[in-house]
Amino acid sequence: MKKFNLMMIAVLIVSMSFGQKYFTKNGKINFDATSANSPEKVEAVNRTITCVVDTKTGNIQFAALMKGFEFEKALMQEHFNENYVESDKYPKAEFRGMIDGNDALNYSKDGTYIVKVKGKLTIHGETRDIESPGKLIVQNGKISTLADFIITLSDYKISIPGLVGDKVSKTAKISVTCQLELFKG
Amino acid sequence: MNKNKKWVYISALFIIAIGSTAFYIYKEYNRKNEDTGSLRPDYVVTASTIIKEFETDQESATKKYSDKIILIEGYLKDILKDDRGFYSLMIGDTTSMSSVKCSMDTAHNQEAASLQKGTAAVIKGVCAGFNADELLGSDVILVRCIIDQMKNNPSN
Repeated sequence: MKKFNLMMIAVLIVSMSFGQKYFTKNGKINFDATSANSPEKVEAVNRTITCVVDTKTGNIQFAALMKGFEFEKALMQEHFNENYVESDKYPKAEFRGMIDGNDALNYSKDGTYIVKVKGKLTIHGETRDIESPGKLIVQNGKISTLADFIITLSDYKISIPGLVGDKVSKTAKISVTCQLELFKG
Repeated sequence: MNKNKKWVYISALFIIAIGSTAFYIYKEYNRKNEDTGSLRPDYVVTASTIIKEFETDQESATKKYSDKIILIEGYLKDILKDDRGFYSLMIGDTTSMSSVKCSMDTAHNQEAASLQKGTAAVIKGVCAGFNADELLGSDVILVRCIIDQMKNNPSN
């Protein structure tokens, strides 16, 4: 009987911890590295983002396949994959971090919460500490996350040739949008 | 006169060469990705087969399929729609967490609106790789997808 009770408690703890994870496999990243004076947009979208948020711990992580970025112009996409981010060598970008002040958030109450996200971003095989303001929207048991990360491309050893220096900015804006659902594992 | 004619020919050839090069650069620079619908598939494979190949040996499967045009046959496990109305289709075995995730081509996005979960479908897309995830299940990712065929036989 004692064993059974212990087992039930263990099952409850496991199910509770899973119950606090929210996820999506359909997140989106908008990438924008357009230089301020460039008439041409250096933009891409990736709609294959996976994201997991643990509302109990505030852990947040998302991952993107580099070849999932779609540019309007094929040549730009080819240069992005082959010359800049070397997608064959470094196929994945990843963020692992925390929602700052997670304890103060009430995930059971609908509303929009302004948060700060801190963590480590890995692109092109380089990992850097990064933080960004973000928005967390709780509505009808679902959570939406929005965060804009500004990165300096040279921090991630992505070098831009002088020839396109007037079009491609030294920094890039990475906007992450995810609509998360409860993970039922 | 002959000398003048020679220069005219040389100048004309020079202008044609410069013009052709400029046209080629302009065309190449503005080239868009080809419509997936008009591309011949490099591989025709079932969802379960390609998932198994990636799970067994990711490196060799990546070499084989990455950037290639894939025609996937399988069951529609789920139809995902984002906040802007873009569809992604999850193809595979309903008993497995892993799938082939097909992100629809923007030009063909609305074709996915008529699909129903649990039906069989044939989807064509470009393989962007494999997203391994222990918690959520690992997915083969296809982008710029189009619906090649819809079948209405129920799953399982």
